[in-house]
Amino acid sequence: MTTLLLRRALALLGRALLVVWVTATVVFLALRAAGGDPVEAVLGGPGSQAGPEAVAAAREQYGLDLPLWQQYLRQMWAVATLDLGDSYARRTPVATLIGDQLAATAVLAISALVLAWLLALAVTLVAAPAAASTRPGAAGWLARGAAGVLRGGEIVASVLPHFLLGALLVVIFAVDLGWFPATSTPGSVLGLVLPTVTLAVPLAGFLGQLLAEGLVEAERAPFATTARARGGTRVGVLLRHTLRHAATPTVALTGWAFGFLISGAVVVEVLFARPGLGRLLVDATLQRDVPVVIGGVVVIAVAYVLLTVVVEVVEALLDPRLRRTRSAAAGAARAGTTQGSAT
Amino acid sequence: MRASATGLIASLTLVLAACSGGTTDPADPAGSTDASDATSGTASGGTLVYATGDAEPTCLDPHVGGNYPQALLASQVLEPLLQRDAEGTITPGLAQEWEVSEDGLTLTLTLAERTFTDGTPVDAEAVAANIAHLQDPDTGSSTGYLAVAKVSEVEAADERTAVLHLSEPDAALLESLTQPWTAIQSPAGLERGMEENCLAPIGTGPFVVAGWTPQQQVDLVRNEDYVPAGADAPQPAALDAITWRFVPDAATRHAALISGEVHVIDNPQPDQIVAAQADEAITHLDAPRPGSVNRIELNGGQAPFDDVAVREAFIRAAGPNPGIETLFAGVAERSYSPLASVEPTAISDPDLFGTDLEAAAALLDEAGWSETDAEGYRTRDGERLTVRFPVSTNQSVAAEQSLFQQIQANAAQVGFEVILEPMDLGSWYAALGANEYEAVSAPYTKVGPDVLRILYHSDSIEPAPSGYFANHAQLDDPALDALLEEASATQDEAARADLMAQAQEIVLASYSILPLYDQQNHFLVRGAQGVTAAGGVSTPSFASATLG
Repeated sequence: MTTLLLRRALALLGRALLVVWVTATVVFLALRAAGGDPVEAVLGGPGSQAGPEAVAAAREQYGLDLPLWQQYLRQMWAVATLDLGDSYARRTPVATLIGDQLAATAVLAISALVLAWLLALAVTLVAAPAAASTRPGAAGWLARGAAGVLRGGEIVASVLPHFLLGALLVVIFAVDLGWFPATSTPGSVLGLVLPTVTLAVPLAGFLGQLLAEGLVEAERAPFATTARARGGTRVGVLLRHTLRHAATPTVALTGWAFGFLISGAVVVEVLFARPGLGRLLVDATLQRDVPVVIGGVVVIAVAYVLLTVVVEVVEALLDPRLRRTRSAAAGAARAGTTQGSAT
Repeated sequence: MRASATGLIASLTLVLAACSGGTTDPADPAGSTDASDATSGTASGGTLVYATGDAEPTCLDPHVGGNYPQALLASQVLEPLLQRDAEGTITPGLAQEWEVSEDGLTLTLTLAERTFTDGTPVDAEAVAANIAHLQDPDTGSSTGYLAVAKVSEVEAADERTAVLHLSEPDAALLESLTQPWTAIQSPAGLERGMEENCLAPIGTGPFVVAGWTPQQQVDLVRNEDYVPAGADAPQPAALDAITWRFVPDAATRHAALISGEVHVIDNPQPDQIVAAQADEAITHLDAPRPGSVNRIELNGGQAPFDDVAVREAFIRAAGPNPGIETLFAGVAERSYSPLASVEPTAISDPDLFGTDLEAAAALLDEAGWSETDAEGYRTRDGERLTVRFPVSTNQSVAAEQSLFQQIQANAAQVGFEVILEPMDLGSWYAALGANEYEAVSAPYTKVGPDVLRILYHSDSIEPAPSGYFANHAQLDDPALDALLEEASATQDEAARADLMAQAQEIVLASYSILPLYDQQNHFLVRGAQGVTAAGGVSTPSFASATLG
């Protein structure tokens, strides 16, 4: 039992290290391939016309005069020793810069994830029984029609670009109605509303579609038939049995949703002038501030790995089968996940 | 915890203010809950909120690096030795008198009696410390470094007299010393080291840096002892404070202005300016930047634009006027000069830039680009007439990028294939450094006509150690070089203006540039009065601004 746990922990650690190393390497190479000289970041941005002495001094200070492979090794060593180094542009430790922005993005991402789940569940709970309505006549048509509208709404929501949705929300709720500020400062609850909604609505669209699909599948399953045969009402069966079953692959996709939230945070943070990791990464990338970009990406990669662990635990809680035959069932669940995400 | 609570109260106040309909005070955006203004009869100065679309500086000390976003903020906190008025005349700054020697090799500055906000005096030693700071390679100065490159020694003749000794005459030095990038800071502040000085440079300006929350805002508070240039007693600003917010998205900035979250925005879009002009609640401040205009430069260093006939053909075909009128909604006026309209020595020659497709076609025929390929583009010896045009999406607004597309379509009519390549700033500079361009648009801000020397002297074809070079047109004309050098050395203002006029004529007649319009520098103000644009590079001034 202990050896099994240890082996799992080691495997997880190995996976985490691999993810971090690969992402850091890709980022390092991509930044260099994108052109532009990092020394410009040290000297006040691209196109600086600093004198030769200043350029030489900056190159030496940050090791930019070394061959590329040595710079790469230095950067990887820095990551390995958890010393993310100093920002070229701001000359302050990368860890401090990221630390200052992390909370703002975490608050935004978590609130958006929670809202997305609530929205998806709410729509599903309304739409699923309505879609399955067997009432005769107009009432039945109306119920099924309403369900169709909600389903269509989910599809529209899932393809809404963040910048468009955000801009619409600003015009309506900040300019016309004046209910919420157009810009968002951390610590302001009202300021968090529009960015959260912007980030949550497309995600809710995705999650809702996945839930609906899982429900259709679950309702055909023998346990659902049995539950109904024992006299369970449609909503009762939904709440107690099928929804739980349908949620499993959707929870598994939360790891993917994390990536969606981070890339969305970049847009949302710029749009609402909100500090955060996304905006930090955009600025640092434009400046070729290599240590900041690598540090930021490493932090995101680590968070992703941790989230995967959390997701596996939640999956196991939702689906008792996973707790017993852990490895086999996890494989099966993931296969199901892949299927789900392909739609 | 306390910070978040303050933020919550602030946003609550804000929304309540917005909900109340804006009849009284449309916004007290910082939510300043000073009880004093309610009890005392005189209204408190309040906190003005400024939303900038320029990039957030990485260092608030404009000596480090030295770009326009730094100038915007630094000019609230620091003051330069000299200033320049709207007519281009040099006026007193921290120096109340100045004298250039006949040989042009010494500049004697007599300092006004001023105190830095840390209590130390502005003296000749401070001037020496600042020049040394700009010239120190560890500072990493680019703009300020260039401005004082010819200063070889600063002599503190007495406490109030600083004598700058030059290695060679520099007619542009007075103008250079009006720029925010050479502003004077407390030597004690500089001695704290770069990291600390970047967070809060110490100067003599109307405001003082109280705090900087990266990616969010810089907090400025009033300098109670502020003495404006030319005055001899403190005249502090009316405002208590300025919240300087970084709001990168133009639509969000405008929404924040309309909804009363902020009082002043910069970089508004043309349609927002037009809407503002019709809105009585909003004041529009049009303050074009000095130095060069926005222009398209044609790379004469390689084919096909090494042939003046091909350059002229492109310019005759480009036809930018309708685009400028519609895309900029009348807020940008077409320029026919290499220099900004605010430069007194600028000369224009509209005749050189008339659109004439037939003439363009004839010029291309003559130059040997007479064949046409299957796609309608001209060829010569089987090679297509291609113009690579890298566009920096960080420096070009949407309207300008649309204008480039119109020019692309116009030039295609006579057989040019213009390839617009949108890219980020780093890639853009890399493309220029690798000579992978035939046309490019690059802004450049500097006070005075000496910008011509930076942009068009053949020395500027040689890249700086950082890879940057300013002469994108790659103009290499000994006669032009000689004029620019002479202008740089002359002490006679009239002679200098004449030399600069001749230099501009050469630049224009070479068909190396297509001038478009002044560097757009607009500000929209709502709920505040007395905001002006001043300083050498048209940054906004809040020294006499009030809210309400």
